[in-house]
Amino acid sequence: MTATIAAPANQQTPSASRTRVDIGGIARTAAGFGIVIIAWEVIARLVLGGTNLIAPPSGIVSSWIDNWDLYQRAMSATLWSAARGFFWGNLAAVTLAGFVVLAPATERVVLRLSLVIFCLPLVAMGPILRVVWGTGDGPQVTLAALAVFYTTLVPLLVGFRAVPQSWTDLVHSYGRGRFRVLTTVRIRASVPYLFAGLQVAAPAAFLGALVGEFTGAQRGMGLLTINSMRALRTNDLWAVATISALVSMAAYVIVGMVGRRLAIGQPALLMTPPSGGPAITTRRRVIRALTEAAISVSIVLVLWIGLMAVLDLDNYFAKRPADVWDYLFGRPASQANRTEILDALSGTARIAIPGYIVGLVLGAVFAALFDLYDTVRRTLTPFAVALRCVPIVVIAPLLVQAFGRGMTGTTTTVAIMTFFPTLVACSHGLRQTPGQVLEFYSVYDTGRVRTLLSGQVPAMVPAFFAAARIAVPTTVLAATVAEWLATGTGMGNLMALTAVNSRYETLWACIFVVTVIVAAAYGVVAIVEQWVLARVAPEQLSW
Amino acid sequence: MVAMMNDPTIESLRGPSIAPLVECTQVSKVFRGGGGSHVHALDEVTVTLRPGTVTALVGPSGCGKSTLLRIIAGLESASSGAISIDGEDPDQLRRDGEIAVAFQDASLLPWRTVESNIALALKLARRPMSKGRVKELIDLVGLAGFEKAKPAQLSGGMRQRAAIARCLVTAPRLLLLDEPFGAVDELTRRRLNLELPPIWQDRGSTTLLVTHSIPEAVLLADEVIVMSARPGRIAAKITVPIERPRRARHLHLPEFHDLVDEVGVLLGVDVDPGGELAVDS
Repeated sequence: MTATIAAPANQQTPSASRTRVDIGGIARTAAGFGIVIIAWEVIARLVLGGTNLIAPPSGIVSSWIDNWDLYQRAMSATLWSAARGFFWGNLAAVTLAGFVVLAPATERVVLRLSLVIFCLPLVAMGPILRVVWGTGDGPQVTLAALAVFYTTLVPLLVGFRAVPQSWTDLVHSYGRGRFRVLTTVRIRASVPYLFAGLQVAAPAAFLGALVGEFTGAQRGMGLLTINSMRALRTNDLWAVATISALVSMAAYVIVGMVGRRLAIGQPALLMTPPSGGPAITTRRRVIRALTEAAISVSIVLVLWIGLMAVLDLDNYFAKRPADVWDYLFGRPASQANRTEILDALSGTARIAIPGYIVGLVLGAVFAALFDLYDTVRRTLTPFAVALRCVPIVVIAPLLVQAFGRGMTGTTTTVAIMTFFPTLVACSHGLRQTPGQVLEFYSVYDTGRVRTLLSGQVPAMVPAFFAAARIAVPTTVLAATVAEWLATGTGMGNLMALTAVNSRYETLWACIFVVTVIVAAAYGVVAIVEQWVLARVAPEQLSW
Repeated sequence: MVAMMNDPTIESLRGPSIAPLVECTQVSKVFRGGGGSHVHALDEVTVTLRPGTVTALVGPSGCGKSTLLRIIAGLESASSGAISIDGEDPDQLRRDGEIAVAFQDASLLPWRTVESNIALALKLARRPMSKGRVKELIDLVGLAGFEKAKPAQLSGGMRQRAAIARCLVTAPRLLLLDEPFGAVDELTRRRLNLELPPIWQDRGSTTLLVTHSIPEAVLLADEVIVMSARPGRIAAKITVPIERPRRARHLHLPEFHDLVDEVGVLLGVDVDPGGELAVDS
C-alpha cells in the first residue's frame, strides 16, 4: 500500500518544483522585457522625439495594425522563398556530407570548396542572380540556399564523425561496410548535430531571402524594408524589422524544439571542422595544404566556367574567370580598376575590422561577466539568444538610422552582429568546463574570478574561435549591407552602384576579390586558433 | 599448418583429432604513427582455438591482446602472418554472421530499445528476423521486462547482459569477448561471470575472452594464454583442468587458487587468493 501511495507522490514532486522554477525564470524575463519596452518608449518619445531615429513601441504596434494585410502577404512571400532555400541548401549539405562519409579522402577538399561558397558576398550575388533568374523569387531562394549550406554541412560532418569506434566496429564485425555504418549508426547519431545546424540555418535562410528581395523583388519583407527606409517611415521600418526578427526567432526556437525531441544528448562542440587523420610533419602539412588549395582552386574554376556553359549564360552579365582576370590585370585600365576596388575595400575594412574585433572581445567579456553574475545571466541570456538570430539586413537599417550614416553606425552594426553569436558561443563554452575541474578549484577555495580565468577560460577558447571563424563572413555581410543600404561607402556601395549601372565586370571582380579576402581572413583566424589552442588547450587541436 | 600446432598440453587434453576452428600463425602487428615512429603491438603470435573451447588472453596493458582479438574479428589487419577460421578466409564467416564481438562498453545504440538492439545483430548478419529468438535471448540473460527500455535506462551490468544477448542471437560459431565486463563494478562482474558464461557455453560457441582479470580468466577459460608486453608475445599457455560449467563453489577449490597464483607469477604480480586483484599497469 505504501508503495502505491508513494509512487505518484514521488512523480509529482519533481514536476511541481520544475514548474516553480520556470515561473520564476519567466517572471524575471518578463520583468526585464517590460522594463526594456518602457525605457524604449520613453527614449523614443521624449529624448529622440521627431528625429526619425527610433520608433517607439506604440508606433510599431500601430503600424502593425494599420498594415496587417500588407505585412502578412509580404511575410508569406518571404517565408515561402526562405523555406524553399532552406530545403535546397540543406539537401545539398546533407547529400555532400553523406558523400564525404563514403569517400573520406575528399573531405578536406569538399570543406574548402564549401567554405568558398560560405564566403561569397551575398549582397553582390543578388543582382547577378536577378539577371540569371529574371523576375520572380529565384534569387531569394538561391541566396537562402547559399546562406544555409555551410552552417549545416560542418556540424553534420562533425556529427557523422562523433560516433564511438565500438559502434562502427559492431557493424564491421558482421562484415558490413561503410554504407551500412552510415545507415545504421551515423545518420541517427548525427541527428542532434544536424538540428544544431538547422537551427542556425532557419534564421539564415530568412536572411538570405531578404537579401534576395533587395534586388528588384516585387514583394516580400525585404522590399518593404527598403521602401519604408527610403520614405523615412520610421514606424513602418521598425514594424517590418520587428516582425522579421520575431519570425526569425520563432524559426530558431521551433527547429530547436523539434531537435530536442529527437536529440539524445546535446552536441558538445560545433563548427569545428573534423580532424584530418594522423599527425604529420609541418613540411608535409604545408605541401598537403598547397596541393589541396590547388585542387580546390581548379575545381572552383571548372565549376565557375562549367556552370555558365551548361546554363548558357550571356557573357554580358555572366563573366568568366578570364574576364575577371582581364579586368583586373590584363588591360590598360586595369590599374584604375584595381584602385577603385581597393579603395572600396579599404573603406569596408576600416569599419569591418574594428567592428569585428570589438564584437568578439565584448562577446567574450560579457560571457565571462554573465558567468560571474548568475542573475545577470539568467535575465539576459534569452535576449542574447534571441538577438543572435535577428537578420542583419533587418537590423542594419535601424542601427544605421539610429547611430548615423558615418563610420560609427556601420561599425556598431558589425560589432553587434559579431557580439551576439560570440556571447552565446562563449557562454556555452564556459559551461563546458568539466565539473571536476571546478571542484578542484573550490577544494582550494579559489576565488570566483581566478577560477574563471585559469580554469574556465581555456575551456571557452575553442568556442570563442569557432565563433570568430564563423563571424568573418557575417562581418562582411553586415558591413556591405549597411554600406549598400545606408552609408554609400565601401564595397557595399560599389556593389550597389555597379549593379544599378550594369557594370558587371566590376561586380564580378568585387565578388572575386571579396571571396578571396574573406576566405583568406577565415584561414588567418583558423591559423591563430591553432596557435592559441596549441598553447591553451592542446587537447582540443583538430589536426 | 596443423603440423605447427603441436602444443603438447592441448594435444593431450583434447586429442589431436579435433580440427581447430581458428588458427593464427605467426601473426605480427606494427602500428605506424606520425613522424616515422611505430609500435610493435604483436610479434609472431601463434594461437589455436579449438571448437567449443573457451580461451582467455591475459596480459598487462598494451600487450596486444585486444589487437589480436580485433585481428581475428577482421577489425584490423595483421602486418604479417596468417589467420584462418575453419580453414576458410575469415571474411566469409564474418559475412555469414558466424562471428560475434562483445566490446568493453556494451556499444548499444542509445536510440534503440534493448529488443531492437538485439534484433539489429540479426539484421547485420543477414538473418531472418525472429522475434521469438530475440525474446528467448532476453529471457536467458535475465532482462525480461526490459525489452522496451533504452540503454540509458539500464545499469552497466544490464547493458552488458544486453550486449551478450546481441552476440548470441545469431548463434555464432565464434564468440570474441573484448573485456566484456571491464566497465562494470567488481560485484556485478563477479555475478555476470557466474551467470552469463553457461549461456554461451551451452550453445557450443568457440570463445576467445580478452581480460585483465586473472581470476576471471581462470574461472571462465579452458586455456589461459599469458602475454607479455611490447612487443606482444605469448609467454605461456596454461590449461585449466576444472570441469565446466564453473560455479561459485569452484572459486574455493585449491586448484583454482593455484592456477590464479601461477598466472599471477607469470605476469609478475602477486595475486590475492580472494581473487580481486587485476593486472593493470
